[in-house]
Amino acid sequence: MKNWQKYLGLIISLLAVTLLAVWPLITSKPVDREVAFTILKGIALASSLNIILGYTGYVSFGHIVYFGLGGYIGFYLISQQGWSIYPSMLAGGLIAGLFAFLLGKAILRLRGAYFALATIGVNMAVLSFISNFDLLGGPIGMTLNFNIYKEYGGAAQALQLIFYLMVAITLITIIVSYLVRTSKFGLGLLAIREDEDAAEVMGVVAPNLKTWAYVLSAIFPGVIGVLFFFKNGSIEPHPAFPLHTSIELIVMVMLGGQGTVFGPILGAAAYQRMRGLLLTTPIFKNIQLSVAGVLLLIIVLFIPAGVVGWIRNRFPITRRVLQ
Amino acid sequence: MKRTLFTILTLLLAASFLLGACQTGTEPEVAEEAKPDEVTLVIGFTSSITGKYETSSGRQVRGFNLWMDQVNDAGGITLSDGTVVKLEVATYDDESNTDRIQELYTRLATEDNADLLISPYSSGLTAAASIIAEQNGKVMITTGAAADSNYQQGYTLVFQIYTPASRYLTGAVDLLASVGPEVTKVAFVYEDTKFSTGVVEAAKAYAEGMGYEVVLYEGYAADTSDFGPFINKIVDSGAEAILGGGHFQDGSTFARQLHEKGVDTNLFALLVAPPEPDFADLGEAALGVIGPSQWEPLAAYTPESAEVAGVEWFGPSSDDFVTAYTGAYDGEEPSYHSAGGYAAGVVLQNAVLTADSTDPVAIKAALDAMDLMIFFGNIKFDTSEENHGLQIGHSMIYIQWQEGEDGLSKQVVWPKAGATSDAIYPIP
Repeated sequence: MKNWQKYLGLIISLLAVTLLAVWPLITSKPVDREVAFTILKGIALASSLNIILGYTGYVSFGHIVYFGLGGYIGFYLISQQGWSIYPSMLAGGLIAGLFAFLLGKAILRLRGAYFALATIGVNMAVLSFISNFDLLGGPIGMTLNFNIYKEYGGAAQALQLIFYLMVAITLITIIVSYLVRTSKFGLGLLAIREDEDAAEVMGVVAPNLKTWAYVLSAIFPGVIGVLFFFKNGSIEPHPAFPLHTSIELIVMVMLGGQGTVFGPILGAAAYQRMRGLLLTTPIFKNIQLSVAGVLLLIIVLFIPAGVVGWIRNRFPITRRVLQ
Repeated sequence: MKRTLFTILTLLLAASFLLGACQTGTEPEVAEEAKPDEVTLVIGFTSSITGKYETSSGRQVRGFNLWMDQVNDAGGITLSDGTVVKLEVATYDDESNTDRIQELYTRLATEDNADLLISPYSSGLTAAASIIAEQNGKVMITTGAAADSNYQQGYTLVFQIYTPASRYLTGAVDLLASVGPEVTKVAFVYEDTKFSTGVVEAAKAYAEGMGYEVVLYEGYAADTSDFGPFINKIVDSGAEAILGGGHFQDGSTFARQLHEKGVDTNLFALLVAPPEPDFADLGEAALGVIGPSQWEPLAAYTPESAEVAGVEWFGPSSDDFVTAYTGAYDGEEPSYHSAGGYAAGVVLQNAVLTADSTDPVAIKAALDAMDLMIFFGNIKFDTSEENHGLQIGHSMIYIQWQEGEDGLSKQVVWPKAGATSDAIYPIP
């Protein structure tokens, strides 16, 4: 096999995201940039979740907690401490990762439904804490002065910059996801997913591997949270920790194919695009939730391995290119 | 079987992408080609067709649509040069969440070519939409967005119809001072959300400034259904008046449980819930409860009161609005959310007439200079750099549920100038 062919799975994934990023640049339409931003956000969040859900087999129902937590930390640093977006993104991601590390040590001892329930509890607990923590605005939250965008050349430039940063984060998330998938570390995670006890017998240090997988899957949502709320101009407790978004992320991963690199990309792009189209298409916009629900029901019932998983099983030759 | 279904699914997904590719030209179609002396003004907004704001947002949109239909049915807005301005709407469902609000407002501003924007319902959604309005140079009238903070962010094109949250409950403190000068201890028990906390923080500072001792200041979660612990704390604190609440569900439960426990209080004022007609379902528990309202059918804003206040009167009377609304929506009684939506339209109409143009710069100038009375009350915007667009003309009115000949009914008890009845004090 030629050297580049070994990386075909990564190349295809990066190419897909790059095409999505270039699309608004070609059309030069702000609305296309906004649509692409929403899709990229979904891809990056779903790919992050895939590390713990798809590779390790731990269903994190409250994964959005890292998005909200990172968003809050970054927003605080930008709006109250006058930091620039770049170090704030870094801080948001690192704090989310640190929190996941400490938390992972405790809750990753749980398995199956107990772990899923614990993650929901964590989301609720952090939501309640933030609602009562005056430094981060308590129940009122925080708002950003419009003039802050002038530092980035005005609101239009700032929105464009946020889009480029989102593209970069998405590409990095996918590269990390690919590296995990193809590394010895990733192999250990897959072993844990298949049978944790057997994996430990074979020498996999499950607690450590799970914790690092959990940390990796938390860092990127933290960074994306900073970007999203900086763009949004305000942050409040309930919109920062929306449980329904956690569930949507799981759907995106399942739809595309859990445990694959390309699956969450396809799943998130299809899901976000479908929801966006249903919302704005005249014949569907009043019944968009019903139509989306029916489609998802069909997917979960008939192709539980997801689209990429189904293609890989059905056409073994594609396993080389669809990872 | 699985294969067929998969094929169908793949086709559906492919179709959705194709639809997207074709969809770039789906801006609202103008029904017929505009005549030379007729222009179409596209007004864009999102509404919460689904999600937690569905009820309030729905009423707001019904109010706005009624105004638009009336204007179009009457032949549009005629400018001095004979140009007729017809109205058209572009709207999407925001699902009551912030995920796509900026995407949708960008679509409204750039693809649907909306000339003017109306805010979504709620302060949180409006904060996200305001950035897009400002960035695209579109005037946005906000209704259903009371938080003060949104108008302190340096925007120049965002104008608020509602009385800001910081003045929601201050009138209740004035009322208390007027009817119960002997009261010294007050309790604030409120829902710990952005809106309610903002309201109560301002009211607490106002009450303390007037010399009241705040003996209890406690928030409760939005889904609280057992107010027993809070009621016990109120009793222990020795509070003589209770202010607070949040939204309809929690507010009505709070009122019912306070009544069931037989707590003796002189004045009980709650946010949002009391002005809703359904609050009467509480029966005796509703009696004496006071609530701030942006507007009530009883509100005495008339051309005569405008003359007394020395400001211009514009638009229909409250009675005309109520008759038209109930007629258009199968007898549905308008709430202040409905009136807010209609008022946003009336304000826009006045701004277009004053500007004598559909040019956004001229409309913004007209809004900046506006000092008007409409059926909703006074409308005047702060034009300072720090608080641009903040509503400074409009005031809350306070209703109280009182026993009438036909059972419980709402009466306006404050401000005194617009009162339809004296306040019942203390609560029996």
